Amino acid sequence: MLEIKSVSKSFPGVRALHNVSFDVQTGEVHALVGENGAGKSTLMKILSGVYDEYEGEVYWQGQRLALRNPRDAQTQGIGIIHQELNLIPELTVAENIFLGSELHTPLRTLDTKRMDRQAVELLERFNLAIPPNRPVKWLRVGEQQLAEVAKALALDARLLIFDEPTSALSETEIERLFAVIAGLKSQGVTMIYISHKLDEVFRIADCVTVLRDGEYIGTRRVQETNPQELIRMMVGRTLAELFPKETVAAGEVVLSVDNLNLAADKRRSSRSLRDVSFTVRRGEILGIAGLMGAGRTELLETLFGVYPPARVSGQVLINGKPQQFRSPEEAIAAGLAFVTEDRKNQSLIVRLSVAQNMTLAALKRFLSMGFIRFAAEEQAVENAIQQLHIKTPNSEVDVDTLSGGNQQKVALAKCLMTRPIILLLDEPTRGIDVGAKAEIYTLVSHLAQEGAAIVMASSELPEILAMCDRVLVLCEGRLTGEFSRAEATQERIMEAATARQIVRQAAEFEVQA
Amino acid sequence: MKTVRMFAFLALLVVLVMTMTACVAPATTTTAPAAGAEVAATEAAPAADAQAPVKKDKYLIGMSQANKGEPWRQAMNDQIAAAAAAHPEFEVVFADAAQNNAKQVADVENFIQQGIDLLIISPNEAAPLTDVVAKAYDKGIPVIVLDRKVNGDKYTMWIGADNQLIGQKAGEYIATWCKDQGHTPCNVIEIRGLEGATPAKERGDGFRAGIAGNPDVTIIASQNADWLREKAIPVSQAMFQANPVVDVVYAHNDPMGEAAIISAENAKIDLSKIAFVGIDALPTPDGGIKSVMDGKLTVTYVYPTGGAQAIDWAAKILEAGEKPPATVVLETEEVTKDNAAELYQKYGGK
Amino acid sequence: MGQTTVVQPTQESSRLSKFWIFILRFQSYFGLIAILVLSAMLSPVRNGHNIFLDPNNLLNIVRFASENGIIAIGMTLVILIGGIDLSVGAVLALSAVGAASFMMRNGLGTLPTIFLVLSLGSLCGLTNGLIITRFSIQAFIVTLAMLTIARGIASLWSGGYAIPLAFGDAPGVAPASFKMLFAGSFTVGGVDIPVQIFYFIGVGLIAGMFLKRTAFGRHVYAVGGNETASRLSGVNVNRVKTIVFTISGLLAGLAALLHAALVNQGSHIDGNGYELNAIAAVVIGGTSLAGGVGTIVGSMVGALILSILDNILGLRNIPSEYQMILKGVLIVAAVLLQRQRR
Repeated sequence: MLEIKSVSKSFPGVRALHNVSFDVQTGEVHALVGENGAGKSTLMKILSGVYDEYEGEVYWQGQRLALRNPRDAQTQGIGIIHQELNLIPELTVAENIFLGSELHTPLRTLDTKRMDRQAVELLERFNLAIPPNRPVKWLRVGEQQLAEVAKALALDARLLIFDEPTSALSETEIERLFAVIAGLKSQGVTMIYISHKLDEVFRIADCVTVLRDGEYIGTRRVQETNPQELIRMMVGRTLAELFPKETVAAGEVVLSVDNLNLAADKRRSSRSLRDVSFTVRRGEILGIAGLMGAGRTELLETLFGVYPPARVSGQVLINGKPQQFRSPEEAIAAGLAFVTEDRKNQSLIVRLSVAQNMTLAALKRFLSMGFIRFAAEEQAVENAIQQLHIKTPNSEVDVDTLSGGNQQKVALAKCLMTRPIILLLDEPTRGIDVGAKAEIYTLVSHLAQEGAAIVMASSELPEILAMCDRVLVLCEGRLTGEFSRAEATQERIMEAATARQIVRQAAEFEVQA
Repeated sequence: MKTVRMFAFLALLVVLVMTMTACVAPATTTTAPAAGAEVAATEAAPAADAQAPVKKDKYLIGMSQANKGEPWRQAMNDQIAAAAAAHPEFEVVFADAAQNNAKQVADVENFIQQGIDLLIISPNEAAPLTDVVAKAYDKGIPVIVLDRKVNGDKYTMWIGADNQLIGQKAGEYIATWCKDQGHTPCNVIEIRGLEGATPAKERGDGFRAGIAGNPDVTIIASQNADWLREKAIPVSQAMFQANPVVDVVYAHNDPMGEAAIISAENAKIDLSKIAFVGIDALPTPDGGIKSVMDGKLTVTYVYPTGGAQAIDWAAKILEAGEKPPATVVLETEEVTKDNAAELYQKYGGK
Repeated sequence: MGQTTVVQPTQESSRLSKFWIFILRFQSYFGLIAILVLSAMLSPVRNGHNIFLDPNNLLNIVRFASENGIIAIGMTLVILIGGIDLSVGAVLALSAVGAASFMMRNGLGTLPTIFLVLSLGSLCGLTNGLIITRFSIQAFIVTLAMLTIARGIASLWSGGYAIPLAFGDAPGVAPASFKMLFAGSFTVGGVDIPVQIFYFIGVGLIAGMFLKRTAFGRHVYAVGGNETASRLSGVNVNRVKTIVFTISGLLAGLAALLHAALVNQGSHIDGNGYELNAIAAVVIGGTSLAGGVGTIVGSMVGALILSILDNILGLRNIPSEYQMILKGVLIVAAVLLQRQRR
């Protein structure tokens, strides 16, 4: 079993962990919850050997743990599946799985055949039929995450740490993962499961420990507690305050999409869009639901001008004017903004400062005679930091020193700087703690009140149900469901999301529930 | 699809390179013999001692150059072409190795394939080219080696100048000049060529031998500027800065000598008091002879390329069946203000 | 470009004392001061007069740093966006041949020559940029190709020998104003300041200002940091790249004007290795070859450091082989220090 005794760790100016103690029994699934900055990541880094200096002691299977690097942790049988994916994009799935623990032939050359075979076996445990020689960069985020899990399993760990493993998985894939976890549990593997999704915690965990601001708050057996109590321990606020949806009288139609088609690009294994039509009004929040790969991200990207016009057909009207964007530059100029799904690689430039990232899309606002007015820029950045409650020492630090939630806020701030009339959000609260989520929901609600039209794609159904005025459901690139706020339920949405028979009929057929 | 594109690009590159070498290899002679007549079929000459002249109306001569990027070697090619113009029965094809030994070997192999009657070669380096030259020689193709050498003795003749001698002559000139000017001591700064090549060593050693006659002459500084004018400017500038009293600048080639003049002008030094010595004396507009004519360089020495002589001997070997001496050392000429104009004409200056 | 997100332990900057951090931030300036002090100490002394510190010598150092410095400024921009330009030396040669040819063979005046040469350099750079962006071919390959093509064209144009430049007012020679404009000097307070220095500093100031204070400059850093994120933030990545390469070519053309005026000729074999010198200056100045990090001033300082090295070794009559070794050591040291900084 794992015993954590009075562990503390500080960084200059920040006390990440303070006197944290609790135990994890062998073979149990132990959830760890808390807001961002609560110390969960730090604790996990200590357990997995990333940090070798800390106060306090950790005992694993009766032995004092003294890890010098992640490799030591691996040899001790501790495996960790990171939230920020740790795969090498240019290498294949099999190569990634066996990175650092490659299999060799008797001749000491790489035994690619055996590695490929074993990779396929591992992936089959997830019902994942991915060819082992496909470069990881061609997989969608969710598939990558499963590959990451496979990688940890290949190392034969006895203690597995999952850090937000389901943030980019679809429902079926989550089921797969849970099945695997159940299987591992029956084999006596001890698991620590970090997640923001309390429903998951209640599904698969035996125990749950709450951290807040680096302090240990308490441990409960899952049967003996409920989400409200956990949330109260995590943030000191109640559930009702989390989803502050205000009803807004919707204004005129600002975005109208008619028979939008996106030609498939086989290489990227991305689905095409087929005859998608919908409208969005001012002040309205439109949700886009669907399984992974259904085309949610593609829809937003198409609206934003990411794809060359040759691949796009159909009509898009913005405020009544037909538009066809050849680049994001044009879309931004027309008043759109896009918060991407993968903030580290697509939204933020990690070597630039918080301020520089924030203003990148809206520099025009601060120009006079071609030169940037630094004072005006500073002011706008400070405003954004205040408004969005972004936790950062100042605006000059590199943006990658911020936590995931705050980085997302910076990405959001960047989009808002352009004062968009249409805001496109893709998984806006992925990997963000409860407290920060609430802030983002408040903000989005506020924007809607001020008259922006918001299109939000998300795989978190609670979020969709709570925030959106209307919900569109995509399945394999087609629109299979449209529900008003009153009509929408989880079941109906899921049904539309998996309505493959309808899609196969390839007709203009819309399911009205 | 990425791999397809990559292969396509590679293929395109290969085709481009091949077409370009195909365009370069045939004669780019400035005065090409107008005859577009086919080269008469050459029976593969078997024995090495078949020196009996089989009189033909067309001779194909292959000229393998080490690096025509260097002006001196370009001049060598030009002089060969000019001399060949006087022999309408000669067709000369040029190949350039751009300082690449492997390429030069391939060039010579190519020539052998084409069935040349005679090979002129200025090898990039001795050892790598020895075997292929021997191969040509053994096939009965007469081989004239210009300027740089190959190893062994499997070639017909070597034509070249003596760098050591040139350096010595320069040294002797300076020894006399210093005495006439009454400089005691006489300060010399030396700007050397690329140390890898023997010319730099020989020109340096020869000079030192030449000045030995006048004990007042001392070399106070010596720096390498790679034969390049642009490199020699900051080098000579620093030397002038470090040594306020300079009487003689001895540069291993004319461009470096010119650079020293520019530096001296910039440092506001009285040029008339200094002797600028260069070597090469090319008859080109940027060459040493013109520089002496214009009163810039004080003296330079002709470093003959041997191009014209090579063609002369080719004619003797191929048409008159003569057996040439193994070594022909070319004379140098001292170029001063008195004879510069005349020598410019003599060497065919444009 | 896929970014690998590897879990890295955060640097505990309490390990480095504040002093070290300060040094690293301004590594290139401290390098400059260090090498200045060292050179002054090692300088030959004549009649109690320190030769290295002689104003003329110092001015010469800056003068000879100017050509490389101007090219290095263009190279900085290129490296900032994550590219490289191997063709600058060849473009310089081509432009120098052009300058000599225009004035000596075509009888053009100073202003038309300047315009044509700068256009020629820009055209080469523009070609580089267009091919790199339109066909998505790596900058290394495209500029390498441009290198050989430019040299070939220069060789054909000049006829295989260097075109000499004679200056004067008679017909058939180049205008004297050209020589004065690009190789003359300004007398300020009794000291003759070579004009090259003005071009060097001028280009540096303009480039530095543009980089720091315009949207374009910000875009350059963004593109170098993450192309995808830049594009999704509305930056026209292709346009930024093309402009940067064009500027690199333009500056090579400007350097060519200085070069031709200095050596009094336009030769197709000149400028050999200049791209490597420029890259060395950029690296020593603290710019990262991965892109996204670096400053103009750093590169200028790098060029100065290289020039000082040349100078002191020449003054001390040390063979150039040592200079080559030292240059290599400097480059590696600079990169190591730069990495420490992060």
